[in-house]
Amino acid sequence: MDISQEPDRAPVKRDKRLGERVRDVVQTRAFLLVSIAVVFVALLVLARFQGVSGERLLSLAAWGIMLGGIIGLGSIGLTLVYGVLKFPNFSHGALVTLGAYFTFAFLAWLPQSEPLRPLSFGWEFPVALVLSMPLVGLVAVAVDRAVYRRLRRQNAHLVLFAMASLAMAFFLRSIIYIAWGPDFHFYFPGRANPALELPLNIRVRADQLFILVLALMLMLGVYVLLERTRIGKAMRATADNPELAQVRGINTERVIAWTWLLGGALAAAGGTMYGLSSQLRPEMGFWLLLPMFAAAIMGGIGNPYGALAGALIIGITHQVSTAFLDPTYGPAVAFVLMVIVLLVRPQGLFGRGGG
Amino acid sequence: METLILIKSVLLIIPIVLLLLLLLPARRWRLPMAVVAGVVLAFALSASLPSGILAYSVSFAIMGCVYALLTLGLNIQWGYTGHLNFGVAGFFAVGAFTSALMTVEAPTGIAAQYTQMAFGLGLPFLVGVAAAALVSAVVAFLVAVPVLRLRMDFLAIATIGVAEIIRLIFQNERWLANGPQPLRGIPQPLRCLVETQGCGWLPPWTTTVLEPLTPRDYPLFYLTIISLFVAGAYLLMERACRSPWGRMLRAVRDEEASAAMNGKPITYVRIQSFVVGAVIMGIAGALYAHYTVTIDYSHFHALFATFLVWVMLMLGGSGNNRGAIIGGFIVWGVWSGTAFLANAIEPLLALIADDLPRRAAYFRWLLVALLLAAIVLFRPQGLIREEKRVSRYLRE
Amino acid sequence: MPLLKAEGITAGYGDTDILHDVHLEVNDGEIVSLIGPNGAGKSTLMKAVFGLIHPRQGSIRFRDKEIAGRSPYDIVKEGMCYVPQVANVFVQLTAEENLEMGGYLLDERLLPERKERVYELFPKLRERRHQRVGKMSGGERQMVAIGSALMLEPELLLLDEPSAGLSPKLVDEIFDNIHHINETGLAVLMVEQNARKSLAMATRGYVLASGQNRVDGTGQALLDDPEVGRLYLGG
Repeated sequence: MDISQEPDRAPVKRDKRLGERVRDVVQTRAFLLVSIAVVFVALLVLARFQGVSGERLLSLAAWGIMLGGIIGLGSIGLTLVYGVLKFPNFSHGALVTLGAYFTFAFLAWLPQSEPLRPLSFGWEFPVALVLSMPLVGLVAVAVDRAVYRRLRRQNAHLVLFAMASLAMAFFLRSIIYIAWGPDFHFYFPGRANPALELPLNIRVRADQLFILVLALMLMLGVYVLLERTRIGKAMRATADNPELAQVRGINTERVIAWTWLLGGALAAAGGTMYGLSSQLRPEMGFWLLLPMFAAAIMGGIGNPYGALAGALIIGITHQVSTAFLDPTYGPAVAFVLMVIVLLVRPQGLFGRGGG
Repeated sequence: METLILIKSVLLIIPIVLLLLLLLPARRWRLPMAVVAGVVLAFALSASLPSGILAYSVSFAIMGCVYALLTLGLNIQWGYTGHLNFGVAGFFAVGAFTSALMTVEAPTGIAAQYTQMAFGLGLPFLVGVAAAALVSAVVAFLVAVPVLRLRMDFLAIATIGVAEIIRLIFQNERWLANGPQPLRGIPQPLRCLVETQGCGWLPPWTTTVLEPLTPRDYPLFYLTIISLFVAGAYLLMERACRSPWGRMLRAVRDEEASAAMNGKPITYVRIQSFVVGAVIMGIAGALYAHYTVTIDYSHFHALFATFLVWVMLMLGGSGNNRGAIIGGFIVWGVWSGTAFLANAIEPLLALIADDLPRRAAYFRWLLVALLLAAIVLFRPQGLIREEKRVSRYLRE
Repeated sequence: MPLLKAEGITAGYGDTDILHDVHLEVNDGEIVSLIGPNGAGKSTLMKAVFGLIHPRQGSIRFRDKEIAGRSPYDIVKEGMCYVPQVANVFVQLTAEENLEMGGYLLDERLLPERKERVYELFPKLRERRHQRVGKMSGGERQMVAIGSALMLEPELLLLDEPSAGLSPKLVDEIFDNIHHINETGLAVLMVEQNARKSLAMATRGYVLASGQNRVDGTGQALLDDPEVGRLYLGG
């Protein structure tokens, strides 16, 4: 990122060997998109081959968008922290789980109201969500203060950060196990949420639509925050060049705290949505960790919009693959997509430069 | 009765001598000292300890050896080359299931309905271990080639994913290794020595000599076997690390660019070390499978097989094989010890909430997680620093 | 009272000291040029002044206030801005956002007016204000970098090799800009490879070699000094 690094348009005129030419083509964004499309089409063909109906595939794709929204909420926080602090935060999955369980705890505490038909929940659910989000954000800030900030002061190597985050992942997970036990929980056990019939015979539940709308609203909020507010711009600036940010008068420690707060809050929203769409279990965040990383890498690390796009791709692919694969293989599907991205274009869909 | 203690003592000699060799400082009198002290200790222990405690210590030591092997494997990857492998559990599982599939006899008749497996060859123990090493190597190679040329944080993400997927495969694919159901009946080497009919391929007097032993005493044999494996892996690693190859690994770890400029084949070297580490982990998996007899996917949880191993290596000291083994035993001791602790605090927890005592076990996780965080924060070099001695031709 | 006064600075990276007992002074309205061979410690001195590395010994006083050991984002508040040699713009942000980050400490209502002043100084930036800086040329980046540093209207501007990597024509343009900025009353401390050009413009100069002060003097005196000419200005 220094001055000498000119825009990547300037082509170098020289004879290239065939291998280099092939590599240049392979590393383009178009090639990556094509390879993702190929995977996708292969999935569809496989599904058709197994006699899955078109309507079911459409419904699956619709659920996939919803799942993409959930993964996206998690991966935005992951990619922001990755961009600002330059380390993969393996404890992000635990923050997702924690958010789901905090909402669960608040629901037990809040008075229950009548369900807002056709949704399966009443007013207390959004209230619990709004309470849980900043709380998880604060947990993330506290962990940063206790662990990562010390490492920053020691100028520790990236791997120590990664390792500390692995430790924190198990720490938070053990707290979840201790507080809520290893069993499944439901936000609203036994409450029915029948599927709505949409045009084209798409069947989705109202809750799923709610999840999608909420995810979109939060994304919009993130967009406004990052593009229009001073702290959001400072976050992007700090991710881009932390030292220069300090030189420009930005208190990077404060920006980092805001980044954790935002990332934690979004993780909590993602976890709560995930809990609403299926059930709560202590491993749910760990299960989402791989899709979230895949989305962050696919979108280019540090790029929240890219992460969202990656999350949608992964969510849809994952859901469509359940037509013929055991759904527990979800992380594997995300992993395959991630490996393709890493092989073809490690800087991600929206990253700059080749190679 | 006396012969029983005598036999037990003899069986304990090799593991104890090896342990002493590891712990004693490198002096000229180390070997004779270790042998003499080892023999004395072996007799003293088997004569004085009640058989229950002795049996517990032996099984503790066997699991400690399994973890020591895993830690040694991780040490070559992380300690010497700087690979951030968060997927130890994957290679451990591959080794365990491979060896199991190679050595178990495929069930026939009605049993085949309860136990499905892709194949069961009924081959000898050592063939199973070798196959485990080979398959781990292949898996590691397939992971390494695409990912190792990328940034090391991507390797961490990729390996955590590989381990998870390997676990998912063994969980879901019934045809492969009995799916979510446990795979039972993994044969134990030299088991026949403690059976009444004896080993057919050994001279009959062995059966007579070992007559007093019951199948319960079998772990004593296994401890000897596995401690020999640990010693072999340790010597091999020490040898390798002091060789030009080991120096090249460290050069690649510390100064990749200058190592490349000096004409070292970086990518190749990094793949080699990753594969070698995975082979040791695979062997550890095989030895674990043959010890526990029954395995299923849940044994290869990231907590037990990846996280604990990292804590062990970080505690013992990355880049130090002795430290890796010692760290393995210490953390395994802490982990086993906290089981008692968890039992002890149960009544206390009952006072706080009704549900809590059942969850006492999770306080162990908490403790180990905090232990790793503390190591990372306060002593990232571990108990024993990396040795500066890089060649057997150099003396300090 | 000098604007900036550094005395007895010993600083470096890790355990290695690069600067040994270095002194430096900048007075109001001056252009001070810091020259010397590669590896003399010029950039290190700039970083030490700006708190990016903390000096092991010595004092740095800005307007008679000790600033050694404080963080960069804190030092900025005192009225001193710094343009690093490399990585001196946020490539992911637009030109305008870069300027806004330059004015991060300002009241938001002051931003439009300050931006306007920078655009007057660098009209080219006004045209490309919504362009991402990563897509800009070296000269334009340098303008963004200097422009961002001017947003706070500091009393002292620290420039680390502002002409590095630019074409001769752009070098002249940047020097003109610096001259112009200085005429508005801003003191400038700069490190330059283009030693002759910068000394010609400078009120005073310091020659640094192997982390120590070698020669101090007015810009003209240094240009006329035969030894400085032979050793540091290429004959």
